Amino acid sequence: MTTPAVVVDDVSKRFRMYHEHNNSLKSALMRGRRSVHEDYWALNDVSFEVPSGSTFGLIGRNGSGKSTLLKCLAKILQPDAGVITANGRQASLLEVGSGFHPELSGRENIFLNGSILGMSRKEILGKFDDIVSFSGVEKFIDQPVKNYSSGMYVRLGFSVAVSVTPDILVVDEVLSVGDATFQKRCRTKFREMKRDGQTVILVSHSMGTVKDMCDQVAWLDSGRLVETGDASDVIAAYTSTV
Amino acid sequence: MSYISELVSSRELLANLTIREVKGKYRRTVFGQLWSLINPLATMLVYTIVFSFIFRARVVTGDPSGITIYPLWLMCGLLPWMFFTRVVNGGMSSIVANGSLIKKVYFPRIALPLSTVGSVGFTWLIEMGVLSLALLVFGSRLLPWLPLLVLMMALLALFAAGFAMLFSIINVYFRDMQHLVSIVLQMWMYLTPIIYPIDLVEEASAKYGSWILTVYRLNPMERFVEVFRNFLYDNRWPDPTDFVFCFLAAAVTFAVGFLAFSKNEKKLAELL
Repeated sequence: MTTPAVVVDDVSKRFRMYHEHNNSLKSALMRGRRSVHEDYWALNDVSFEVPSGSTFGLIGRNGSGKSTLLKCLAKILQPDAGVITANGRQASLLEVGSGFHPELSGRENIFLNGSILGMSRKEILGKFDDIVSFSGVEKFIDQPVKNYSSGMYVRLGFSVAVSVTPDILVVDEVLSVGDATFQKRCRTKFREMKRDGQTVILVSHSMGTVKDMCDQVAWLDSGRLVETGDASDVIAAYTSTV
Repeated sequence: MSYISELVSSRELLANLTIREVKGKYRRTVFGQLWSLINPLATMLVYTIVFSFIFRARVVTGDPSGITIYPLWLMCGLLPWMFFTRVVNGGMSSIVANGSLIKKVYFPRIALPLSTVGSVGFTWLIEMGVLSLALLVFGSRLLPWLPLLVLMMALLALFAAGFAMLFSIINVYFRDMQHLVSIVLQMWMYLTPIIYPIDLVEEASAKYGSWILTVYRLNPMERFVEVFRNFLYDNRWPDPTDFVFCFLAAAVTFAVGFLAFSKNEKKLAELL
């Protein structure tokens, strides 16, 4: 048994819902340090392991805590309790093209976005041609990205993100981007990543996608883990409750 | 310590964010980067007309350089000041302005305020270069002082970066901060001998009590401006206490800013 790629151990995440938020100096001074709030636990003692080299899906209803968990996995949010351990280099793709500067050209944005995602300049240079050809925006690479169509924008962002070649890739519902051709290319890309032994963790509402791509699935409801295990079993259990 | 190593490994990100700001700022303008020179020149013109022709402020003679030109004397203090305010203002809003990025991607957040220092610093370097040329033309012998001048610029950059980091965090909690800070900075400028010489304060202090000067000189920017003028305008060694004061102010401010930032960095995505 190899070491799991990601271990999620008793993770809880609390959000404060402020009835009266202290976001102005006046209210802070008037009320002292106290602000009126209520705790909302978006995640409650969630534990599971993601096996190395697998494609792992997170499913559940809206508001079940999938995205919160994904953000914790992507290190954007800090869990209030519990630990998430990732073994290997990790990249996350919660939104494509985040950090693009509209006035800069596609070329400049590849370097900017790549370095935000943690790639070195040398690495980006080596992969530059692949990124451009995968995105299919060759003709427009020196145009400012604000002139791109929304499809081109998203494709370029996606191409940069998948070129990071992380050991662990965390993906939010981004597979629904682009036209049919691009989606097909993405699926092929994910299959290649799997073949290369990369671990993918993804959130999707489309059971078809999850069934098609994932080996294992975790089902969340109201911040608690309902079931985790083999994809087809958990999906069957989940769909029967809907 | 892993935090520090992460920071070192993200220096390319820092460079790229800096380039983004430098390149993005003057895109689609006819004059491009020239605007960064037009702006201080216009300010110089306004202050020179108002304070040298209308108020007839005393023109300081450089000792030992012997230069007596108000606009040059003014710019030796004004350019460092403008750098300082632009870094504090820009750095302060850098976190809130990049909220969508912070909520979507993990990267060392500190790169955001520091890239403001980088991009504003780039403009400042050009400005100081032009000022140095002008000073050379009018007889300042500043070339031997250039290495020390660069050191002072680095110290001022640390000082400003400390404020930028601290205020960028406070601004996330209290958005009032940016409005408050712009007022404070305005007052601060008039409490610093930038457009008028410190002699005026010395005279007032001799008349009304020596505590005025003591309090007045607690302002670190006063020391910075003094040292910058010593090098650029007067061409002489600064008073060692001024230099030590600048050094301590920069070290303490940067340390406080860095600590405040690294303590709150992980919570930013939630707070925004």
